[in-house]
Amino acid sequence: MKDIEQIVSRLSELGISVSTEDVEKRYRLLVDKFQVPPREAQRSVLNYFLKEKGVALPARKSEQVKINQIREPGRWVDLEAKVLSLFDSPSPAISQAGILGDETGNIRFVKWAKSEQPDLVEGRSYLLRNLVTDEFQGRFSVKINRSTEIAELDRDIESAVLPQSSADYKVVDISGPGQWINLRAKVVQLWEPSSDSIQQQGLLGDETGVVRFVKWAKSEQPDLVEGRSYLFRNLVTDEFQGRFSVKINRSTVIEETEEPIEVSLNRRISGAIVDIQKGSGLIKRCPTCKRPLSKGMCAEHGKVEGVYDLRVKAAIDDGLIVQDILINRERVEELIGLTMEQAKEMAMEALDHEVVLALIEEKLIGRYFEVTGPVRDRYLLVDSIKEMPFSDEDLSLLVSRAEGL
Amino acid sequence: MYSREVARRVFLAELKRSDLSFREGDDSQYAPQYLLTPTGARCNRVFVVGTLIERDDIGEEVEYWRGRLADPTGSILIYAGQYQPEASRALAEIEIPSFVAVVGKPSVYETEDGRKITSIRAEAVQKVDLDTRNKWIIEAARRTLERLELMRSIDVPQSTDFRPGTIYHPEATTVEDCRKARGHYSTNISEYKQMVLTALSAIRKEQAIEESMPAEAHVMPEVHAETRTPGEVEMQDPPVRGKLPVDYEADSRAESLKPDAYTKPQPGRRRQTGSKRISSLVDLENDDIEEIDI
Repeated sequence: MKDIEQIVSRLSELGISVSTEDVEKRYRLLVDKFQVPPREAQRSVLNYFLKEKGVALPARKSEQVKINQIREPGRWVDLEAKVLSLFDSPSPAISQAGILGDETGNIRFVKWAKSEQPDLVEGRSYLLRNLVTDEFQGRFSVKINRSTEIAELDRDIESAVLPQSSADYKVVDISGPGQWINLRAKVVQLWEPSSDSIQQQGLLGDETGVVRFVKWAKSEQPDLVEGRSYLFRNLVTDEFQGRFSVKINRSTVIEETEEPIEVSLNRRISGAIVDIQKGSGLIKRCPTCKRPLSKGMCAEHGKVEGVYDLRVKAAIDDGLIVQDILINRERVEELIGLTMEQAKEMAMEALDHEVVLALIEEKLIGRYFEVTGPVRDRYLLVDSIKEMPFSDEDLSLLVSRAEGL
Repeated sequence: MYSREVARRVFLAELKRSDLSFREGDDSQYAPQYLLTPTGARCNRVFVVGTLIERDDIGEEVEYWRGRLADPTGSILIYAGQYQPEASRALAEIEIPSFVAVVGKPSVYETEDGRKITSIRAEAVQKVDLDTRNKWIIEAARRTLERLELMRSIDVPQSTDFRPGTIYHPEATTVEDCRKARGHYSTNISEYKQMVLTALSAIRKEQAIEESMPAEAHVMPEVHAETRTPGEVEMQDPPVRGKLPVDYEADSRAESLKPDAYTKPQPGRRRQTGSKRISSLVDLENDDIEEIDI
């Protein structure tokens, strides 16, 4: 039993000799009878014997290590490391949290509020004595406590690079693949993993929209629960089928949050408009029920004096998916540069409503737009539509991607 | 519920070489028809932005328009007749040359001697600007690279380990299509990689030109020798009878393929009309001008 052996060896390092049987008995009691999680039990058993022998736990024997040598919890270590990034504190009990790095790797750190230690500064390097290692779901961290000694180094610790510092994002801000982001989001849905390399996948949402996520099996991250909200740090964005997704990887930090998140089902798609559908352009609606008239007739109210409206039903397509969209009068007016009144005049002069449709087709078909809005049945109701810009950055990225093939 | 088919982005050199078409699902005539390209794009519909470099009315009693659309990698014929009135009108009216966006259905026509010729039956044709053309190249390059990356990943078992910048395709449903395409075309990945680079480099050149020259200067970007793909070089060679200029494998393949229900040869309908030479490098008279079955 690994946990028990660890306790025994820890105790013997501290000069305490206890038989394996005694440790095991105590450990089993907690784990088997009282259903204490093994890690808690381990710590509790250790403390039990320390207390029994009158030994205080702290920094008696702290060893200088490199980050990649941290392989078990509850060790006292000294580290020379650089602060790669800092997070918002997830809890009042924690005064600082972030990532430390040295030439062998990165590790998360937490500074307890009770430790009353000064704040670390991002980008600076420190000698940290008497840190305690910890483990959660197979990932290690170090804790700064009251007995930790912090000394700033005047040399820079060369550290394994943290790809980029992640920025706080809303779902709607995700605009390209390869971005490192932090996201506060709710698990809207979980789907069956589509491959063995994926542990979980589904949909995350916040006030601005929804985005798909994938959690790699290799990320060794705890499972997310549908309906719960989390703060994710160091997610990486990706693009597939014209939609963005976020990937939970090994360096992602996940914390559950109690803060309620109102999820908006907005979607965004960038692509070319490939079709203008029937019922677009200058149309007449029933004054009572607002339904579009067909040959002057309302399906509900019969022959009525219709009121004009201007709208576009179209299909936008990015080569991977196609989405029907509905653009209302206000936005159509902006797109074609004509007010509905002007469009009516134009149709009157030509004695044909088709001229307005032709203008719409000319302005929209084959052109690239980015549209956002909620999806109702088959239509995305366009809240915003803007011409997609040409991106020089995309060009150079694609060139290097092609060259790397 | 009816759902519209996606319009695939395929460069013209690739589309022109594509001749593997099949119906999906049941045998009814309503089952969607697909054309599988060498990089594994399954096309029921395509979207191409290129330069319209010529057009002719080849109809007899009714108008039937044929145009030639070029992108930096190659060219293809597009058709629009009485059943595509808007596309037909646009094809008739747009000045030559112009940048145009074309939405349409790929169509494979098999000649009596077993050659297969791929063209586009246009649903929509719209004049656009250089900026839109450039965006299309970007997008077509991205989609083509995605397919090529998937095709490559079939050869090399991919590590699922996370690496920044790793492109991951969770719905690898096209693995099957990639295999099928590879089996049929013996796709040479580096050749298509070169095609993508050729297309992307055309953007750079033209942006530089645009500042100093009028719009007409952008005609026929694909004729610059340095931007041509290996396949396109062959286009300049004197075509060998009975063989597609770019499709070096068509003959051997044609035998092993069943004639497609919808690409039945139309006896005695071969015509060569109105093939004015717009460019000395794209030789219409010797090129594929079989009329397709509408």
